[in-house]
Amino acid sequence: MSGQGRDFDPRVDLGRGLVLVNPIGVASGTFGFGFEAEALGSIEHLGAIFSKGTTRLPRDGNQPPRIAETTAGMLNSIGLQNPGVEAVARDYAPRWASWRVPVLVNVAGADIAEYVEVVARLDGVEGVAGIELNISCPNIAHGMDFATEPGAAGRCVAAVRRATSLPLVVKLSPNVTDIAEIARAVEDAGADALSAVNTYVGMKVALYARRPVLPGAGTAGLSGPAIKPLALAAVAKVRRAVGIPVIGIGGIATATDALDYLVAGADAVQVGTANFTNPQASREVVEGCLAYAEQHRLQCWSELRWRELDHPGWQETALPVD
Amino acid sequence: MTAGGPTAAARLAGQSELGRALDEGAVCTEVLPLEGNLFQISFQAPRLAGLAQPGEFAQIWVERSPVPLLRRPFSFSRADRRQGQVSFYLGAVGEGSRRLRRFHPGDRAQLLGPLGLGFTLPKEPGRSLLVAGGLGAAPFPLLADRLLERGEQVIWVNGARTSAELYPEELIPAGLAEVVQFTEDGSRGERGRVTSGLVRYLAGVQRVYACGPNSMLAMVFGLLSEHPARAATECRLEVSIEAPMGCGFGTCLGCAIPLRDPDDGQGPVIGLCCRQGPVLKGSLLDWEWLLQQPAHLG
Repeated sequence: MSGQGRDFDPRVDLGRGLVLVNPIGVASGTFGFGFEAEALGSIEHLGAIFSKGTTRLPRDGNQPPRIAETTAGMLNSIGLQNPGVEAVARDYAPRWASWRVPVLVNVAGADIAEYVEVVARLDGVEGVAGIELNISCPNIAHGMDFATEPGAAGRCVAAVRRATSLPLVVKLSPNVTDIAEIARAVEDAGADALSAVNTYVGMKVALYARRPVLPGAGTAGLSGPAIKPLALAAVAKVRRAVGIPVIGIGGIATATDALDYLVAGADAVQVGTANFTNPQASREVVEGCLAYAEQHRLQCWSELRWRELDHPGWQETALPVD
Repeated sequence: MTAGGPTAAARLAGQSELGRALDEGAVCTEVLPLEGNLFQISFQAPRLAGLAQPGEFAQIWVERSPVPLLRRPFSFSRADRRQGQVSFYLGAVGEGSRRLRRFHPGDRAQLLGPLGLGFTLPKEPGRSLLVAGGLGAAPFPLLADRLLERGEQVIWVNGARTSAELYPEELIPAGLAEVVQFTEDGSRGERGRVTSGLVRYLAGVQRVYACGPNSMLAMVFGLLSEHPARAATECRLEVSIEAPMGCGFGTCLGCAIPLRDPDDGQGPVIGLCCRQGPVLKGSLLDWEWLLQQPAHLG
């Protein structure tokens, strides 16, 4: 397949100097801190790794049971089990520093002060390629407070922006009335890129027990192929609302899934739940996307984008007038 | 220290070596129907057959489709190095196991393993007691095989609610010192639970391995804790437990289990069934918590 007289560039620029060798990453919470995948096989094919959500102090997470399978999806309520930012910066980052693949640390917090403190601790740490700000965890108290209201989202991101010079990606919740207005607030506050979307709030019920399968309120975050059409719609909406790169997430298990997101307006994607079933999923997605690009003689990924996203020939009534 | 895992739990209970695991394309060689929804399924998987140790498990990818979405974890029931085959003993109870029940010879599945920490095998031959409750017999044929290879005397106490739920005697490896059957309804062997007659077989036993319902495991633990022979024989209990599992290799954090250091009064540390288990020393388990776990709802 040579002699096409073209030069395909598979890279993706997420801003602030963060250039991925390809648009395929792995989603926070589905890849730990990368070390299990390193032990199971190579991670070198990846464009980026987004770490497990990290907080100021270690967290034990929620009471089990924490997961339940649903039709083409799974519910999780892990509750941000993580070793705390100190362990991440001290023990994990030095190992990432020797990897070719950039690792962005997903950061979660209960209030702005915690977000700022965690991000400040990671600033300048060798091996940390960027921050993914998780303002949208559905499984901890107040986890979504910053994702559901544009004012709060903007204040949180602005405060974090002042605390770090690292590339700053902000992960949006789909559990909002209008994801576009949150996206705009976050862009205005200085985010370099957006991840869309986190899990959808869901529930599974055990009829015979007459209660939800998962404890507490019974709700948890739904991920997997079941949410792909919902997430594609959210990504397209975010794409139309902002000018910064958008990373699409939701039910990506194959190269076709990933390419669908590029059509819907994403600049990059994250493979999530599929990592649990198939440790080679992200490698297959990378190889499949590159093969598609070759086959269709792409010069850049944005050729795939639905043209109407940038220049709509129609009026979307839900879009507020600027 | 192993970064990326629950390090306190790893220090307490050890941690599986993911570097040993591989994802083998396996071909079904047999589906052996047993009573009710029970069956044994075998695969040609030579690399796994050579690697699998008793108590370890494989994540079976039943079908490359979004339903069922996740792999299904099953302990190796048999691993025949010479034939290159592995077998699993299970009941068709959910979407994944029902599809496996409908497998035919020649059908393919991906088997990721070996995963988890298995049973500790003795360095010196002695006497082992295997306590199986219903489907909990699953890991014991392989365990018995490997114990017998080491010259161990093995007693298998086989229990279930009814004879239909009992692990079939003809599948129990030959050469055991004794096989004892219990059914709660008395339809086969002695009437009663495995725990009701357990003390009779404890004399001279160095190791007890148990797998079955949590309530049964807790009774075995309680019985051994109180038994006078415990200190004299340095009897050790290892149990294989279950938890709803997503990935099986420590990234989803779905199969969390609280573990207790028996030598300090500290609160539990969070371990993972897939990395610190599924086999755990009885003394490390938080039994109160385990007994509170609802029957599998998912």
